[in-house]
Amino acid sequence: MNLFLQGGEVATEDAAPTRADVWIVDGIIKAVGVMDAPEGARVVDCAGKIVMPAMFDAHVHFREPGQEHKETILDGTEAAINGGITGVVMMPNTAPAIDSATVVNRVLEIGRKCRIPVLTSGCITVDRKGKEMAPIAGMKKAGVLMLTDDGDAVPNAALLKRSMEYALEFEMFFASHCEDPQLAGPRALNEGPASYRLGIQGTPALAEEICMDRDIRIAHATGMHLHIQHVSSAIGMETIRWWKSRGAKITAEVAPHHLMFRDEDIGDYDTHYKMNPPLRTAEDNAALLQGLKEGVFDLIATDHAPHTEFEKSQAFVDAPNGLSGLDTALVSLHDRFICNGDFGWDLIVKRYSAEPRRMMRLGVAEVAEGKPVDLIVFDPKKETTFTKEFMKSKSSNTPFLNKTLKGSIEMVVLGDKILLER
Amino acid sequence: MSFGLCVLIFRFLFYTDLFLRIIRENDMSTALDPSAISAAITRLADQIFQAVGQETIDLVGIRSRGDEVAERVAGELRAKGAKVRFGILDISLYRDDLAHLSSNPKLQSSEIDFPIDESRVILVDDVIFTGRTIRAAFDALFDYGRPRAVELAVLIDRGHRELPISPTYVGEHLETARLDHVVVSLQKTDGKDAVEIISKQ
Amino acid sequence: MARKDFLDIVSLDREEIIHLLDQAVPFKELFTRSVKKVPALKGKTVLMLFYEPSTRTLSSFEVAAKRLSADVTIFDVPHSSVTKGESVRDTIDTLQAMRADYIVVRHQLAGQPAAIARQTGASVINAGDGAHAHPTQGLLDAFTFREVCPEMAGKKVVIMGDILHSRVARSTSTILDKLGVEVAFCGPGSLVPQTRFKRFTNYEEAMKWGPDAVYLLRVQKERMDQPFFPSDREYHNVYGITEERLRRIAGEGIYVMHPGPINRGVELCDGVLDYERCLISQQVENGIAARMSVLYDLKPQVS
Repeated sequence: MNLFLQGGEVATEDAAPTRADVWIVDGIIKAVGVMDAPEGARVVDCAGKIVMPAMFDAHVHFREPGQEHKETILDGTEAAINGGITGVVMMPNTAPAIDSATVVNRVLEIGRKCRIPVLTSGCITVDRKGKEMAPIAGMKKAGVLMLTDDGDAVPNAALLKRSMEYALEFEMFFASHCEDPQLAGPRALNEGPASYRLGIQGTPALAEEICMDRDIRIAHATGMHLHIQHVSSAIGMETIRWWKSRGAKITAEVAPHHLMFRDEDIGDYDTHYKMNPPLRTAEDNAALLQGLKEGVFDLIATDHAPHTEFEKSQAFVDAPNGLSGLDTALVSLHDRFICNGDFGWDLIVKRYSAEPRRMMRLGVAEVAEGKPVDLIVFDPKKETTFTKEFMKSKSSNTPFLNKTLKGSIEMVVLGDKILLER
Repeated sequence: MSFGLCVLIFRFLFYTDLFLRIIRENDMSTALDPSAISAAITRLADQIFQAVGQETIDLVGIRSRGDEVAERVAGELRAKGAKVRFGILDISLYRDDLAHLSSNPKLQSSEIDFPIDESRVILVDDVIFTGRTIRAAFDALFDYGRPRAVELAVLIDRGHRELPISPTYVGEHLETARLDHVVVSLQKTDGKDAVEIISKQ
Repeated sequence: MARKDFLDIVSLDREEIIHLLDQAVPFKELFTRSVKKVPALKGKTVLMLFYEPSTRTLSSFEVAAKRLSADVTIFDVPHSSVTKGESVRDTIDTLQAMRADYIVVRHQLAGQPAAIARQTGASVINAGDGAHAHPTQGLLDAFTFREVCPEMAGKKVVIMGDILHSRVARSTSTILDKLGVEVAFCGPGSLVPQTRFKRFTNYEEAMKWGPDAVYLLRVQKERMDQPFFPSDREYHNVYGITEERLRRIAGEGIYVMHPGPINRGVELCDGVLDYERCLISQQVENGIAARMSVLYDLKPQVS
């Protein structure tokens, strides 16, 4: 393979993109800079485009094993590639749950057949029931680093504390889905004017904030690194900021939908805006965006949650929570925030590529001389229309369905393979 | 000349021209002027008085405009010394074309405060054309009770019946083409008395 | 262009509401005739889809439809909680085969009538969905209040009770507000959310505000999975119309309304039903006229 990406701008996590060409030979970046096309190289015109490290999504739900009608690991990885992502971390709320070495191995084996690497987290408790500790050591041996009961919080504080104390030995870290079960109600939407108007009991932001506070305190007391998942409220973000200022070992992620949408977007019971934690208010949107810019949030993660059309067409309270995010995330972030000047490509590279890989103790992808190839080419001028056919996820439950957004992922190259070229 | 005056003159010329065009295209003609209408009302009142003047006359006007015709006929009958009971029938709920309308006509209450049972009712309407309105009026009337007899008085009979219904008393016969549009205006309802025919070229 | 469905009050503007109220008057006039039927909906099928049990609303709609000469079918659906996974679409397919022109839906889940309306050409009427809306109730309440207070603008109505779980509170407050009535809510703090209307958690304060009518809501035990206030007895003493409170209400000529069914001894004492300005039976009677007005006005898009 001899590839010359000509005329583009290279993005890094530290600075705005700079004009540079990229020469790739056999899966390694041979040179980065302004130069003439080398002889024998295939020239790819990247004028006006951005060449950047590929994205990494640390929070996805591939429904295998058990709910393959929604998504399989293979479909999920293809959706990731379609979205410019070359690495994912699966969540363990499958059926059976990923709570033992056996299931971990099964999942990783399927992952090895995919075109991008697949990592997985493991459950804190057996079958995520919150009663007994899962065989943590066994899972570490199989390659798990992140422990979470995502989908639910661990209701029993004592159990959470003990499992953190135990897992310290294996150098693993915990990730928390924060939600007080007694305040959660039917888990349909945020408690506020929208829930009053629609006549459905809402979940107050309080439910997330109380649990977040509890989990952080337990982690801090035990010395365990805690990663807070899908933060949706302004006060929740302030809690994280406060604890970080005290030196607590915590990291946090925010999902694109909590930056972009609010509970009023549910409109006339549109289940495409139904997820857990729910969409909150415009004030929360603004505060979370500020938190992302300031670095309170270490990374962006989609919480990719595919569901079939049939399931999402149920009554609002019955429909399952979540939206399918991998195909649309990067383009939507460009369309909503980069185009507006809210932040630049450096933030995207840092928060959606570099930091997630660091958290998973992987090497950071870089577009630099001598580094292995793990990059994408993004065209800010082109548009993408997210039809069902365009998206590679098996499910298409996204508010962006059939919408056209500014930006397009033109190419994905991993090692010596071109995974995607439009 | 001021600008406003220019605008006014322009508007006048514009609308006059438009009016003339419409008349030319659609050939609108006045069939009955106010005096002809008054004469028709009087003719109706005379016919009814001659037929049933000795008894109590029960007039039921079909909304809309049939009620105004009935009111004016009632006035003339009372002036002749007859005893008249007066009611209004709204037939919107009985039309046979409701399902085909994109939105329903304005519905109002009927106002019949004398018993229909055993009375001799004279239904009154402004125009009889296909006869369907009268059929709907029969249905509506019979849901109020069982009259001893029903007669029909119309200000204008324009022909082209689609049902075997004929009026008992007629104010004026009008020769019209099937596709003509007959516009009846009455003083109280429309501000003037006139019957105009608009025929498409 | 008439609308196809009648799903909530929020989507109606003032003109449409007044049109529906005015149109209910001739329908009420029909009740005094010997033949109360009119052929306006002859040959049309009205399907009752009541997932939540109800005798009053169901029979009110049935009478209204039959007085318009429509054919009425009551679709037998399980009254227990709806089977999860049975999609709205499966129900629709069955309904399409029956070629109904009008479907009257009552469901425990908010948004269901709207979901059905999106997927069928039949005219869908919301007879109550979860805690979201009960628009025909709102219409008959506005109609009843207008009969006693024809000049509605500036009048005051306080809605008392379990606002949080009440679709009647939402629909009736919205329609009265659109007609220029000043609306306030009163009830236990745990059951009265913050809305754009005045909020009272004290009965005396609410009455000091000077309402022309008090609208009482039933406490909806079946919608509460956890207790929101201590006991029925305490509720009656703190927020109910006791004999003593009734005396003062009667003294000021304040009207009392209630959507029914009533919980005697909870939101009101027996004496209220004999009070001459209690409008409960008028509400029931007007319910039929209001529902006839709605059925007459809608235009299904069924071939």
